[in-house]
Amino acid sequence: MPKPVTILVGALGGDGGGVLCDWIVAAAQSTGLAVQATQIPGVAQRTGATTYYLEVMPRGAQASSVLALNPAIGEVDVALATELLEAGRMIFNGFVTPDRTTLIASTHRVLAIGERSAMGDGSFDVGRLLRAVKERSKEQILFDMDQAAEESGGVINAVLLGALAGSGKLPIPDAAFEAAIRHAGKSIDTNLAAFAFGRGHARGELEQAVREHRKRQAAVQGAEDLIERARKSFPAASLDVVEEGIRRLTAYQDRKYASLYLDRLEGLPADLVRDVARHLAVRMSFEDVIRVAQAKTSAERMARVRKEVRAKEHEPLEITEHFKPGNEEIAALLPPSLARWLLRQRPFHISMHVRSTTVWGFLRLRLLAGLRWWRPHSFRHVEEQAEIERWLGQIRAAVPLGGDLAREIAELARLIKGYGDTYKRGLGNYRRISDEVIAPALAGRLTARAAADAVANARVAALADPEGESLSRTLTAIASATPPLKQAAE
Amino acid sequence: MGTNVAADALSNLASPGVIGGALIVVGEDYGEGASVIQERTQAYALKSSVWLMDPRPSLPTIVRCTEKAFELSEATNTPVMMELRIRACHVTGEFTAKDNKPPAISRNNRLAQPAAHDYDRISHPPSTYAHEKKKVEVRQPAAERFIVEHGLNEFLPGERSDLGIIVQGGITNVLVRGLDRLEIEGRIPTLVLNVTHPLVPDQIADFCKGKRAVLVVEEGAPDYIEQAIHVLLRKRDIDTKIYGKDVLPMAGEYTAEVVTEGLLKFFAQSANDIDLSKPRERFEAARAGRAEAQRLLGGPLPLRPPGFCVGCPERPVFSAIKLLEREVGKVHISSDIGCHSFATLAPFNLGNSILGFGMSLAAAGAVAPVMQKRTISVMGDGGFWHNGLLSGVASSMFNRGDRVLVIMQNGYTSATGAQFIPNTSGNRRDGETTSDIAATLKAMGVGWLRTIRTYNVGTMLKTLREAMSTDDKGLKVIVADGECQLARQRRIRPQIAAQLKRGERVVRTRYGVDDEVCTGDHSCIRLSGCPSLVVKPSPDPLRSDPVASVNNGCVGCGLCGEVADAAVLCPSFYKADIVQNASWWDRLKWRVRSAVIARLAHGEMSA
Repeated sequence: MPKPVTILVGALGGDGGGVLCDWIVAAAQSTGLAVQATQIPGVAQRTGATTYYLEVMPRGAQASSVLALNPAIGEVDVALATELLEAGRMIFNGFVTPDRTTLIASTHRVLAIGERSAMGDGSFDVGRLLRAVKERSKEQILFDMDQAAEESGGVINAVLLGALAGSGKLPIPDAAFEAAIRHAGKSIDTNLAAFAFGRGHARGELEQAVREHRKRQAAVQGAEDLIERARKSFPAASLDVVEEGIRRLTAYQDRKYASLYLDRLEGLPADLVRDVARHLAVRMSFEDVIRVAQAKTSAERMARVRKEVRAKEHEPLEITEHFKPGNEEIAALLPPSLARWLLRQRPFHISMHVRSTTVWGFLRLRLLAGLRWWRPHSFRHVEEQAEIERWLGQIRAAVPLGGDLAREIAELARLIKGYGDTYKRGLGNYRRISDEVIAPALAGRLTARAAADAVANARVAALADPEGESLSRTLTAIASATPPLKQAAE
Repeated sequence: MGTNVAADALSNLASPGVIGGALIVVGEDYGEGASVIQERTQAYALKSSVWLMDPRPSLPTIVRCTEKAFELSEATNTPVMMELRIRACHVTGEFTAKDNKPPAISRNNRLAQPAAHDYDRISHPPSTYAHEKKKVEVRQPAAERFIVEHGLNEFLPGERSDLGIIVQGGITNVLVRGLDRLEIEGRIPTLVLNVTHPLVPDQIADFCKGKRAVLVVEEGAPDYIEQAIHVLLRKRDIDTKIYGKDVLPMAGEYTAEVVTEGLLKFFAQSANDIDLSKPRERFEAARAGRAEAQRLLGGPLPLRPPGFCVGCPERPVFSAIKLLEREVGKVHISSDIGCHSFATLAPFNLGNSILGFGMSLAAAGAVAPVMQKRTISVMGDGGFWHNGLLSGVASSMFNRGDRVLVIMQNGYTSATGAQFIPNTSGNRRDGETTSDIAATLKAMGVGWLRTIRTYNVGTMLKTLREAMSTDDKGLKVIVADGECQLARQRRIRPQIAAQLKRGERVVRTRYGVDDEVCTGDHSCIRLSGCPSLVVKPSPDPLRSDPVASVNNGCVGCGLCGEVADAAVLCPSFYKADIVQNASWWDRLKWRVRSAVIARLAHGEMSA
C-alpha cells in the first residue's frame, strides 16, 4: 500500500492549531491529494497542550487506503510545533526520530505553569531542548515564529504553515496553501503576510535578528570619580557589576551612600568581589516606599509603559497604580523609636489606587520619591544596614575557612526580596539559615565544605515552596548530620 | 450527557422499545482525549439490551453505519447506540452525501392525534415482563439477522486461513496500520465488528472454524467480547485458540504502539513461521530511540495541564480560597465537574473529590459531619440546574446540613463550549432569562445567601471567612457572579470592532507589571495562574530571577491587581486605560497633564 506523508502538530491552546490543520487539508484537497486529519483538541478552555495528526497520500494514491488516526513512534515524517517545549514533548514521546522526521518548530518558549510559579527561576533548560532537537531529528527548520508573527503582523499558525510550505516536504504548491488561507476568508492579508514570512525563513531567504534581552543600566551623573576609584581598587572582572552598583546607589540615595558601598567591598578576596558586589548593591538599594515612588515616577517609565501596553501614538493613556501600604511600610519611614511603637500597635493596611497620570497623583508620588534625603534616618534603613553588616561580617569570617562557604553566604542574600509578606518570608528564611547553619559553621561545628553545601541546599529548599516545608526538612537533616564535637577533657 | 447519567432513561426506553428508528451517539475514549471517567458503553448496551455500533473510522463507513443504525433500530424496535472515539469525532476526510429527506412527522408536519394508548408500551409491570422476553426472543434474533443480511460487519480476506483477527470497528485503522508495520497487511483474514452488540454467533463461529488461532482486539475492560466468543466457541466445540487480553493490555487506549506489541506477541505464540525479525528490530529501535531522547531531555518535561482562561471569572474565587486557607488552614473542598475542576490542578491544587456533575454539595454531606471545619462545595451553574438544586441544596436543607456552597454563576455550561442554561442572561440569548439562581434559592428557603462579583477578591475572601465562621447553622450559599470570559469576549469583540470602525470612543483596559519594581518571587502567579501573567528575564543587571510580566493576551479583568491588593503582595501592578478614538477633551487633558508631569519629573531629576 502506498505510504502517506505523516504530519504531527504540537501546539498550545489558542495557537490556532485547528485552523492550521484545516489550511493543510484544504490545500491538499485542492491539489487532488487524499488527506485525513484528526485532533485531540483539549477542552473549550484556552490553555493546555493540543495535538493534531494528518496523513497526506502521495499523488495518484486512493483515499480508500486506510489512513491512521494515531501517530506511531518512529513513523512521523514532518513534526510541527508552535513552541519549543512542545517540540521537546514530541521528541520525548518518540514520535520525532533522526532517521525520518523533519522538525519545523518555533524556538520561543511559553513557560508552563509549573515553570512560571517557581519562587526563583523555574524554567526548563533550553539547552537540553535544543540539543534534543538537533540530535533526535533528521532535519530542522527552527526560528522564533512568535517574533516572526509579530513582525509580520499575523498569527503564529500562519507562520508555521509558511514554514511547512517552505520546507518542501509536501507535494503541495505554495499557491494551494495561499488559496486555502484566502478561502478560509479570515484576516486574509495578515495571514498571507505571516505565511510569506514563515516560508522566507524556512528557505533561508529571511534573516532573523535574535531578540536578545537588554539589561537596563542605571543612568546617573556625578559618580565618575567613584567609578575611577573602583577601577583602581577592584579586579577588572568585577567592574561591570561594581560600576552598576555605584550608579544604582547614587541614583537610589547619593554619592556618600555609593562610596559606603565601595568601602564595604574593600579587602575582599578578588574572586569574591563580583558576587558580593552584586548582592550588596541589591541589598543596599532595598525596596522601600521611596524607591517604589522613584521607579514609578522615573522619566523613562511612561514611554516604557506605552510600549508595553501597545498604546498608539496620540492615544491618551491613564495609569492607575495599586498600592496597599500598611503599618510596616509606614514604620519603615519613621525614626526607629516611633517605628517600634507603631509596630506594637494593631496591624492595618490602606488600599490606595493612585492615578499617576494625573497631575495630583503624580505629584503625590514625586513628593514620596523626594523623601530620599530622609531615608538614612528611617527605621528600615537602620535595620537594613545592621543586617548588611552582619552578613558582610559572616562573609569575611568565612573567607579563611575556604572560598566556597563565603560565596554561598553571599549568594544567600538572594532570599531577601520583595515586599510585605514575601519580604518577611524571605528574611525569615534567611535568618533561619544564618542562625542554624552559618553560625554553627563559623563556630567550627561544621567543616567549611559541608557548611557550604548545607547553605546551598538550604537556599534551594527555601525557594522550593512558600510554606517553607522543604526548608524545615532540609534544616533538620543538616542538624542531624552535624557531628557532635567532644569538649576538651582538661 | 454520559450513559451513566442517562442510564434510567436508556433502560426505560429500551424496555418497551421503539417504533421509529432511535439512534444515540456516544463518545468513548481511553486516551489523552478522555476528559471524564472511562467506562465501557458495552456494559450499558448489554444491561439495557440496546444495540451498539462501533464503526470503522473512515467517513464513508461512519456515514453508512449511521443510516443503517436507524434501519436496524426500526427493524428490531430497539434503540441503537453508536460509539465514536475522539479522533474519529474530529476526523476530516471525504464521503459522498445523499440528498436530505424530509421526515414524515415533524414540527412542520404534526400529528393530529397522540399515539393510541397501549399499555404494552408502558415500561411498567406486567408489560415489563413481556418486554423482558421480547428482548431476547424477538428483538435480538431480528438484530442478528439484520446485521448479516445488510453486511454491517466487514470481512477483510487474507491468505493465512489458519489465522484470524476479530476487531472492534473503531480500532480497525490502528490494527491495519499495525499489520502494515509488520509487513503482513492483507495476509490475515479479519472480521471487523462494526456492531459489537449483539454479536452474531454463527458469523463468529464460521469465522473461527478451522483456524488455529484468532486474536480478539477489544479496547477497554472488562473483555466482554472476548468472553462471549470463548463461550460460543466452547458450546459449539470449536477448539480454535483465542488470544486477546493475554497479549494485549486489559485497560488503556489501544495506540499504534500497544497494538503493534500485541500483534508481535500474538504471532510469536501462534505463527512463528512468519518471519517478523525485521519489523521487530525497527519497532525495538524506535523504542530505544525514545529512551535515548528521554535520557537527553533528562525529563519529565513540565506539564501543561488545562487551566482557567485569561480573565476567567472563576479564578478569583480560588485565589480567595487560597488566601482563606492561609488564615484558617486546609479546608475540605468538594469539587465538581466543569471548568472550576481545573482548580484541582496547578497552581491552585484545591479540591478533595469530584463525585459527579452537580454532586459537590451532596458529596460533602458524607464528609461535613466528621470535619471540625465547615466544608466548601464548589459547583457551576450548569451543575446546579442539572443536579445540585435537588440532590445538593434540597437535601442539605432537609438534612440540616451546615455547609458552605459556592455557585459559579457564569451564565453558560462553559466547559462543553458555552451552551445556554436557565440562568443565561436574556440579552445574550433571546431576550428572556428563564430562571434566576438567587431567586430559586430564596424560594427553596436558603437563609444565608450572598451574591458577589467574583473579581472582588477582597470581598470574596471576607464573605468566605464569614460563611466559615458565622453562627448560622444552615446552608450558606455564595453565588460567585461573573460572565464566562470566553463567551464574553466572543460577544463583545465584534461590538467593539464595530464601535472603533464608527470612530466611537472606546477605552481599552489592560494591566501591567513594573519590571523595575517586581523582584521575581512570583507569588502573584501562584495565586492566580492567569495565562497572560508570564515571566521574562529581569531587566536589572544585578538580579538573576525572572520577573513577572503581563502579555498582550490580557483582557483587563483586573484580577492580578485585586490579588496583589488582597494578599498584600507588591506595588508592581498597574492598570492602563488606553483611550481609542479619543475626544478633543481627552487629548487636551492628556497633553496638559503630560506637559506638567514631564516638567515635574525633570525638575526632580536635575535637583
